[in-house]
Amino acid sequence: MSEYHVIEAQGLTMRFGGVTAVDHVDFALKDGELRCLLGPNGAGKSTFFKCLTGQLTPTEGSVTFKGRRIEGWNTHEIVNLGIGIKTQVPNLYDGLSAYENVRLAAKRKHIGRSANQQAEKMLVRCGVQDLAKREVGVLAHGQRQLIELAMVLAAEPELVLLDEPAAGMTGDERDRLAGLVKEIAGHASVIVVEHDMAFIRQIAKQVTVFHRGAVFAEASVDEIMRDPKVQEIYLGKAADVAA
Amino acid sequence: MEKPLWKDIGFHICVIAGLVVMFGVPIWFEIFAVYTYISYVVLAVYALSLAYIWGLGGILSFGQAAFFGLGGYTFAVASINLGTTAGPFALAFLLPAAFGAGLGYFMFYGRLSDVYMGVVTLVVALILFKLINHTSGPEYVIGKARLGGFNGIPSIPTLSLPGVYGGRELLDPSEMFRVFMGILLIVYIGLKALIASDFGRVSVSIRENEMRSSLLGYDVRRHKVIVFALGAGIAGLAGAMWATYQTFIDPNAFSLERSAQALIWAMAGGVGTLIGPILGAVGLQWLSLTLGEMQLINNQVLLGSILIALVLVLPKGVVPSFRMWALDLFTIMRRQREGLDPKTGASAVERQPAE
Repeated sequence: MSEYHVIEAQGLTMRFGGVTAVDHVDFALKDGELRCLLGPNGAGKSTFFKCLTGQLTPTEGSVTFKGRRIEGWNTHEIVNLGIGIKTQVPNLYDGLSAYENVRLAAKRKHIGRSANQQAEKMLVRCGVQDLAKREVGVLAHGQRQLIELAMVLAAEPELVLLDEPAAGMTGDERDRLAGLVKEIAGHASVIVVEHDMAFIRQIAKQVTVFHRGAVFAEASVDEIMRDPKVQEIYLGKAADVAA
Repeated sequence: MEKPLWKDIGFHICVIAGLVVMFGVPIWFEIFAVYTYISYVVLAVYALSLAYIWGLGGILSFGQAAFFGLGGYTFAVASINLGTTAGPFALAFLLPAAFGAGLGYFMFYGRLSDVYMGVVTLVVALILFKLINHTSGPEYVIGKARLGGFNGIPSIPTLSLPGVYGGRELLDPSEMFRVFMGILLIVYIGLKALIASDFGRVSVSIRENEMRSSLLGYDVRRHKVIVFALGAGIAGLAGAMWATYQTFIDPNAFSLERSAQALIWAMAGGVGTLIGPILGAVGLQWLSLTLGEMQLINNQVLLGSILIALVLVLPKGVVPSFRMWALDLFTIMRRQREGLDPKTGASAVERQPAE
């Protein structure tokens, strides 16, 4: 892991009318780092992701990816710089087969047969090669998560953003995913939004905790797990902590 | 979608059927009937323009007649001025395509929602309809061509294309029918090839899930502009065919009725297919003409009732419904052949009641 920051947000703020979903967030990720974002529902994690990827234009602040300011850019322009996104709710082409879904993603980096091979390789890598011919609209949530992950990886991004990748997965699927995420982190930078503490323990070293749209804490997994304030957030006593 | 075009049996059947019609109809039918059938072919090309942008591109245009009329008028004005028809024919594709690209740019880059896009296309067609209707004065002249307002432009030259029937005018309805069928087949094959290409697959992916396409790095708005412009160009081509077929064009080419026709043909034939809207256009035009000859009942009421019944009974359209039935029938026959239960696919052992 180098000291170079692959992505950096400074004073990032997103307001919806009177509601501040992301509140002056300063965040930096080192090249090759795997970071987990933790926080209760409504903490602003997914909104933060959307600001990083151009799905939302931040009200204030800046986002720098590989040394380029990207806030206000279109999603496809940001993605083409080398960011892959797995959304909270699997975002797939429901009427197409798993293979076709992944192939469409592979085509961003490969052409012709090479795209076909890349799609097949990614399906195997994510352990869903048996579902290649199945229409994804009829698959279980966990299977859909893995297919979306295969799509993200097929475009070979330098930064991978995973929003609740373990949601809806069985124990086995989750273990396989944890191994896969660690493997991805071997050659890309990764940010994972997750609620599942057991899963976070499996994959992460460094954790950033979001609360009420702001960065609440940032430390190693063990430190975060021991932090009584973080525990209180999850137990619903955040108001007392803030006071 | 994964099947390459050359493996698509349905495509081959359609092309062969098209060739049979192209060469057979002028032999089997009398000249007046052939002359009428030319209009069906022109309107089938027009139906294809909407079939492509709506069915495959997911863009609903309520004003497709804007491009049909623009193509017709472009051909009329250019051919009267130039005295030739090949160049104006190409221009009748290019100008509406450019107009469609401009309109599409403002709609897609302006992030208009589908409903507003429908309204904008409808309003553009109505504006052009009104505009052309008010050009009856002698001052509305482009070169040698007088626009003529609601009277339209008469004496439009008949089409002559280099290398086709020695480059002479297609005055014989049989020749015109064959050439127009050739154009229909070229447009159909071209669109099928485009849909089977990587560009076409991306079009379908955008129709299926715009956000995911954007998250994969595809420029959704640029892609939609291209699809919309191409559909506009094809509608323009149909407009030029209409103008040269009738040797006349008037503002009705831009009318709401003309826009609605394309939508009805696509819905009746099946959105998402190319052959459906072609069959919808031909079938409903034939029905409309046949009913028009009847004296017993108001044909508009009868045609309307048939359309309502068609949409209620076959909401997906004729072609997708028949395709589904054929698939079901094929599955039942296969199960019967293999000794399985035709309905459930269960084997004889599985059907034994438990003791």
